[in-house]
Amino acid sequence: MMERLAYLWPEIALFIGTCIVMVMGLSHNPAVRRLCSPICGIFIVAAGVLAAYTTPWGESAVSIAGQTLLPNMPIFAKVLISVVGLVLLLLLAGTVDRQEEGLIARGKRAFDPLRTNRAEFYAFYLFSLTGLMLCASADDLIWLFLALELTSLPTYIMVTLSTSANKSREAGVKYFFLGALGASIFLFGFAFIYGGTGTTNLNAIHASFVQNGINGIALAGLVMALVGLGFKIASVPMHFYTADVYEGAAAPVTAMLAFVPKTAGFISILLLCATIGWQYVPGGETALMPAVGVQGVGGTALPEPIRVLLWVIAAMTMTVGNVLAVMQASIKRMLAYSSIAHSGYMLVGVIVGPGNNTFATSGVSAVMFYLLVYGVMNVAPLAVVASLEKPARSDDEPTEPETLDDLRGLWKRRPALAGMMVIGSLALLGFPPLLGFFGKVPLFTAGISAGEVALVIILGLNSAIGAYYYLRLAAMPFLAETPGAVPSESYDLHPRTSRTFAAALSASAAVVLALAGSQLMDISAKAGYVDSRVNGMDRLQPFKPKLTSVEDGGRPANGAGAVVAPAN
Amino acid sequence: MMTLLTNTHGLMHALSGAALAVSDEAGHAAGHASGPVAQTFAAGPMFGLLVVALPLLACILCGLCAMGRVKTKLPAFLTVLCLAGSFLVTLALYLQHHGQPAGTAWIIQGFEWIRLDYRQMVDSVVQSRSFIANFGLYVDSLTCLWMLFVTGLATLIALYASEYMSHDVGQGYNRFFAAFSLFVFSMACLVMADNLVLLYLGWEGVGLCSYLLIGYFYKKPSAVAAAKKAFILNRIGDLGLALGIMLCYVHFGSVEYKVIFEKCAPYMASLAAGQLDQIPLIAQFIPLCLMIGAFGKSAQLPLYVWLPDAMEGPTPVSALIHAATMVTAGVFLIARTYPLFLMSEYALPIVAWVGALTALLAATIGMAQFDIKRIMAYSTVSQLGYMFAGLAVLTSVGGAAHVFTHAFFKAMLFLACGAVMHGFAGQLDLRKLSGVGSMPGWRVVGIAMLVGCLNLAGFPIITAGFWSKDMILGEAFANSQMQAIGWILLLTAGLTAYYTFRVYFRVFVGPKHYEPGDEHHGDDHGHDHGHGHADGHDEGHQTSGKHGFHPHAPGWAINTVLATLAVAAFVIVPLVALNHGGWVKDMVGASSAQFNEKAAYLIAAKGDLHTKFFGFDAHKAMMVVSSIVGLIGIAVAFVLHYQGRTTAATSKADALLPAFGPIAKWAQNKWYVDEFYNAIVRMPLLALAQIFHWFDKLVIDGLVDFFGWTPRGLGGSLRPAQSGEMHTYAVGMAGGLAVMAVVVIVVLM
Repeated sequence: MMERLAYLWPEIALFIGTCIVMVMGLSHNPAVRRLCSPICGIFIVAAGVLAAYTTPWGESAVSIAGQTLLPNMPIFAKVLISVVGLVLLLLLAGTVDRQEEGLIARGKRAFDPLRTNRAEFYAFYLFSLTGLMLCASADDLIWLFLALELTSLPTYIMVTLSTSANKSREAGVKYFFLGALGASIFLFGFAFIYGGTGTTNLNAIHASFVQNGINGIALAGLVMALVGLGFKIASVPMHFYTADVYEGAAAPVTAMLAFVPKTAGFISILLLCATIGWQYVPGGETALMPAVGVQGVGGTALPEPIRVLLWVIAAMTMTVGNVLAVMQASIKRMLAYSSIAHSGYMLVGVIVGPGNNTFATSGVSAVMFYLLVYGVMNVAPLAVVASLEKPARSDDEPTEPETLDDLRGLWKRRPALAGMMVIGSLALLGFPPLLGFFGKVPLFTAGISAGEVALVIILGLNSAIGAYYYLRLAAMPFLAETPGAVPSESYDLHPRTSRTFAAALSASAAVVLALAGSQLMDISAKAGYVDSRVNGMDRLQPFKPKLTSVEDGGRPANGAGAVVAPAN
Repeated sequence: MMTLLTNTHGLMHALSGAALAVSDEAGHAAGHASGPVAQTFAAGPMFGLLVVALPLLACILCGLCAMGRVKTKLPAFLTVLCLAGSFLVTLALYLQHHGQPAGTAWIIQGFEWIRLDYRQMVDSVVQSRSFIANFGLYVDSLTCLWMLFVTGLATLIALYASEYMSHDVGQGYNRFFAAFSLFVFSMACLVMADNLVLLYLGWEGVGLCSYLLIGYFYKKPSAVAAAKKAFILNRIGDLGLALGIMLCYVHFGSVEYKVIFEKCAPYMASLAAGQLDQIPLIAQFIPLCLMIGAFGKSAQLPLYVWLPDAMEGPTPVSALIHAATMVTAGVFLIARTYPLFLMSEYALPIVAWVGALTALLAATIGMAQFDIKRIMAYSTVSQLGYMFAGLAVLTSVGGAAHVFTHAFFKAMLFLACGAVMHGFAGQLDLRKLSGVGSMPGWRVVGIAMLVGCLNLAGFPIITAGFWSKDMILGEAFANSQMQAIGWILLLTAGLTAYYTFRVYFRVFVGPKHYEPGDEHHGDDHGHDHGHGHADGHDEGHQTSGKHGFHPHAPGWAINTVLATLAVAAFVIVPLVALNHGGWVKDMVGASSAQFNEKAAYLIAAKGDLHTKFFGFDAHKAMMVVSSIVGLIGIAVAFVLHYQGRTTAATSKADALLPAFGPIAKWAQNKWYVDEFYNAIVRMPLLALAQIFHWFDKLVIDGLVDFFGWTPRGLGGSLRPAQSGEMHTYAVGMAGGLAVMAVVVIVVLM
């Protein structure tokens, strides 16, 4: 058990931070209250550092933590979560309690812990990140379920708290109920998988699939689990909530929703797919019933039913997301649908699998890389929106720009923000010199090398549709203001400069990281590593020879070869 | 699969075998074959690079002037200075080269320009090969000859242009002289290149400058159209040249003249032995490709139509680029690669026929035109045809000599016409000008014109044009294969004499009369005549034209240049006249353009080099016959256009026109060649373009629109599902799960 701790230092650090923030946010002293977000940031940084130095990977991940399915994924995911989490924190700062704190400062109201939300807001954010990191550490279905719920439950509340408007409450309620429905579906699926294999340990499930094939119960469980996890990544048919929730939440929370649950969902889906293994003959006879055993094993694809299921989900997700985004006038709804579309793109990588573990052929690496790319560049447009506010009339909250038309003339008023918006939306579009392009390329190459040509064509067509609305978003700041609009409705800058800073960080990362692309690709290629020995027929080989070699090697004939490396 | 491999191998084997055979033969033959061109190669003096560098410097300086918005004549004098320097360097280079043994070719290595090393499988052995094109100069006597008149004339014409373009000072002046210098740089690259790729660079460079300068008055639609026409027609020719260069590399393994000539030596030996069939077919294709480039640049059939239109450019440009130098690039190409042209049985006869027919066609058109500059343009086309015919009837000396003399007298004719155009506000119609030569201040122009016309008409003995033309005619008649060419050229000579003096008798002598052109109204492109020469008018102008117009006589620069050229036209007579070609013969004879074993070559072609002309020696007879033909032409012009003429607009020739029926009209309309090209080339292309346009608009755009509207339509149909009602969403999720389950079950079935 103690060696499992080596896995969990980042989560522990985040949890400690959560507790501290939760208490500090309730202090009577405003200066202490104000320290919440810096403390938050310190613990996220600490978690990132701990993740980078303590998370086992490679052979040690296999031997110590038993993390045999995706041995290098946790360290990559956790560092990524810390980095993007920090940028998101910059953006989230100042979302709640502005009115309340203002009134308190002016002496109009006494501090009342029941009326303020700051403590909850930051604590829940850290909770959500904790859950996300725990997803990456999961080696058990129950662990995975709990981690997923720890990720999601705080977000429901954060959506509700994010603005004082009714639509945020509506969005929070919708998100909660539909999230519960989605969770029930994949929990049902997890239960079926347990029923079909007799175990909840992912490695053991994998062993069972390899040795006995996938039986009908397990298959039903896998289908329900994968479809249900689609709620986290907002894939068809679980995507309905996305637009309403994204629109109802404040822009910083929207940006968080586009990264945190999506990352949790993809980590879980990759883990589930890794238990099945990309080891089946594409399009061939499937190894489903125990009677036929492992027939069909030896290829490089998911079993046919799962492959077709994910194929249909991927194709529909990107298409539905894109065509609905085309129709939108609201910035956040548009970005919500585009977020759906991006999930569809990433599913292509899941279907393709690890290939031969090189960056060009590995869909798993492509997904890892895309999570990074998307997490970084998606911040920019929403941060620009969050950096602007329409001054409130009376005691109401200031409001953000809502529709695309609200961005008109931004280039003249605030060229820096407009530039960030342009870079961010062009990066999301996948415009060549920017980061988004380098994110999409491996999806294409991996897809083609795996023979998924039709899916790659759909991906290409969808990217073209995506260009339509992203270019609209990029062009909008340059257009003249509509003649009918009230000219005085020029937006002020949000007092929290950290938001603008987040936008600048994201936009410059879209340029700078593209230049550092090859290093990131190398890292992503390692992160998406799937051991073909582990994943293939000889799944249990590394452990068995160890035993035999110890028995046989007790008396080595010539003193050599007594120790055989476990993974040999 | 195996068969395919074997075939590929066999093909490679065959190809590499051919390549090897060449080098073997070359190595074998180099030992004993004396070769028709006893060229020896040596490293030349580095100062030769200045010939190329100085015009480039001038171009850069003019560019700087343009950047500094210089509003004086500074760029003109910078250009004249640099070009004069270039001429002096050329002269020094020539004098130093002259001291070398005859047949020496200097290679002046500038810098390494293109070098590609690669490996190639030859006979299953990997060999390292390289493609080398250095920025190096090849200086032999032919180069010297060409560069002397190119730089010399360029200097004079730049001086002329400094005055001629003065109306544009501060506007296009800098641009004009930048392009002018760039042209001289490109021409120097073309002529002095030591490899075909550098020649190609110069070739494209002169084409570009020609385009820039024809379209100098870029606000004038006809000038823009003419510039485009020139460029596009030249591109067609350039394609041939490019293919020829590629073929050269494929066959000889190099684009450097030195290597090519060395590898040609065995072919020349078999030619001298009369064994044409010893030369591989692929080598015989090289001249056929190269000549297309030459025809394009030198305005020969069927690509000549751009040159008359090119007169839209300023007159100094017409004189330098479209009369004296650039258009002789085609002649130079053939002279430079003469050994390659000898290798093919068909190359030179094709060149001969194209040249002769172009000469005749252009002369007939020139007879019927009224625009004096256009007449000169057609006469250029015609004389270029002469030069090609000269090269093709195996007198490369005659061809080169005609280039040399023509450069002087044609430049002079253009400059004289330009002076008229300059003085009479763009008036060029010979029906509206008369007696210009006797107006005060126009005497130098009149004399220069007379000298130029005498040369062009081939007035016996005293003119250089007579001697160079005579060489070509004599050689054509002496060659039993080329009798027909000779007759065509002789007829052309008579026509040339007629139309040349038609211009002279109409415009420069006779009753004084003029109508000014319409370019003094301050046209945006026109010749502004604000800097008046008040003495430009006199009692003799019975102006029927616009009131208050005074022609202004040329100033010192124009007169100096014209006088210099007029003197030079006589000075060069001994250079071409003495001893069948004189100095020019020495220059050409010591270069790659000489071929001494003509007789043997002709025997192989079953020809004869000493055909009699009605029982007389052809060379001697031609001197007399061509003199008579030329004089007849002049006399006819005298009778028809001078004798008894009282007005500018009419002459006795008008009465004769009905006798020719429609022919005169056809000639005046240039035999409808432009219309013909329009119908068979341009119209089909435009129709095709229309088809593609509509295909693009209907099918491609339709497809794009379809893809544009499909997402919207699809989105519109999906949108109602996004109702915002939670229970709808829940039903959608559950239903979606059911659909997914069905999908999986279907796959399992």
